[in-house]
Amino acid sequence: MSRKDYKKYFEILELDPDASTLEIKSAYLRLRKLYSTDSIVISPIADEFSKKNRRDILQQVDESYAKLMVLLRNEHSKSRYRQKSLASDKGHMGEKADETTFSGQALRQIRKNLGIHLYEVALDTKIRIEMLNKIELEKFDSLPPEVYLKGHISNYARCLSLNPEKVTDDYMERYRVWKDEVKDKV
Amino acid sequence: MEKLRDEKGGKIWAIGGGKGGTGKTFIVSSIGTYLAKNRKRVVLIDVDIGGANLHSFLGISRPKKSLTNFFDMGTPLKDLVVKTGIGNMSLITGDIHSLASDSIIFTQKLKLFRHIMKLNRQYVIIDLGGGSHNNTIDTFLMADKMIAVVEPEIIAVENMYHFIKNALFRKLRMSLKEYGFKEIIDHMWEKRERYKIKNLRELIGCLKDSFSYVGDILDREISGFKIYIILNKVRSSQDIFIGSSIKSILLKYLGINAKFVGYIEYDDSIWRSVRERRPFMLTYSLSRSAKEIEAFTENLIQGKEMRLMRS
Repeated sequence: MSRKDYKKYFEILELDPDASTLEIKSAYLRLRKLYSTDSIVISPIADEFSKKNRRDILQQVDESYAKLMVLLRNEHSKSRYRQKSLASDKGHMGEKADETTFSGQALRQIRKNLGIHLYEVALDTKIRIEMLNKIELEKFDSLPPEVYLKGHISNYARCLSLNPEKVTDDYMERYRVWKDEVKDKV
Repeated sequence: MEKLRDEKGGKIWAIGGGKGGTGKTFIVSSIGTYLAKNRKRVVLIDVDIGGANLHSFLGISRPKKSLTNFFDMGTPLKDLVVKTGIGNMSLITGDIHSLASDSIIFTQKLKLFRHIMKLNRQYVIIDLGGGSHNNTIDTFLMADKMIAVVEPEIIAVENMYHFIKNALFRKLRMSLKEYGFKEIIDHMWEKRERYKIKNLRELIGCLKDSFSYVGDILDREISGFKIYIILNKVRSSQDIFIGSSIKSILLKYLGINAKFVGYIEYDDSIWRSVRERRPFMLTYSLSRSAKEIEAFTENLIQGKEMRLMRS
């Protein structure tokens, strides 16, 4: 299956067939929010545009997104394979991307560069916006216990199309350093 | 309805949108100035019912002759054209008695458009002003590019939906008339209670369900009905999404292909330039707003949408 076969789903998400992963995610979040909440663009037409119409649209949007995610996963595994063979050909070239340490600050920067708003992450991950903000600011003392935090970080990473394990490892490493410091003070 | 095309490649852009005060006249003058600066021959035509004042945005006094002279006294159109002080760009002004009145019938308007094309300009930009008057809408429908200006504010959005729905209804009605099916749409709309129709969407649905041949015509006409949206007075990055939301709703609600071509941030230097009666695109040519205007004008020329994602 190539992108051509997914034309319909790109159309429903109002995207060009060459859209990037982020454009797809961002379009999905935007449309989800648009048709599930009242806003100044919906309410003037709400009496004609019934709840049922909107539910139908949401269903199509969800379905299209799910289909496109399958497409992306397939494309991703193909390109991973390509990258691997490239990396083994050229020695250490492939490692460059892994050099970043995913601190809260780094995550925030990546998110901003991608043009994704916190509320979009919140919608996608079901993590409260205040919590996401604290994660980015590394307010470790007001974050939930480690097990929950790990889950949050992993979801957040997935939302930004980052490698969840690498991000969680980096972030939790920083978290533990802070924890040890607090312990030492006491 | 057939668009009026010029053999010499002249393009007519009409700028409307339903609500007054959203900045249409400012946008017309700025698009015109940008095109003229890029060595395009441009004529601006002001048919704003609520008060033609495009000349003020260009810093010139009200032209003595208006379209009334053309309609009532047969004055040649080229005698109404005045210079704007900006090279390559001229202006024709209308007034309350000309295009606004219902006495100007459709054939007269066709005549006006024919004469406009004879002026030999590359771009003809029409300022429609606010309102969803039939006369305004018919002029809108005759243009090559139908451009709607809206601001991130509920009344403006509501009026724009109203404007676009009216425009689509009139367009469909006119096309069905050409095929001899006008009675069907009129009948169905008049007896809408019996057909359980409450709005344009349901009317289109009901027509399609009842007559498949009419459905084909409607599909074709709707897919040819393209609207370009400009969002003015944007105050936050979240406001920008309103442009793409409107586009989405028009598509998913009425099947209308709209393109969100760009936006202008709210900018005090804009009203300052208007107050000082100086063309914004010349006085503040390096400002962010001027760059935004350039960007959407380019998108309009190429028929492209603005890309939302920043890289």
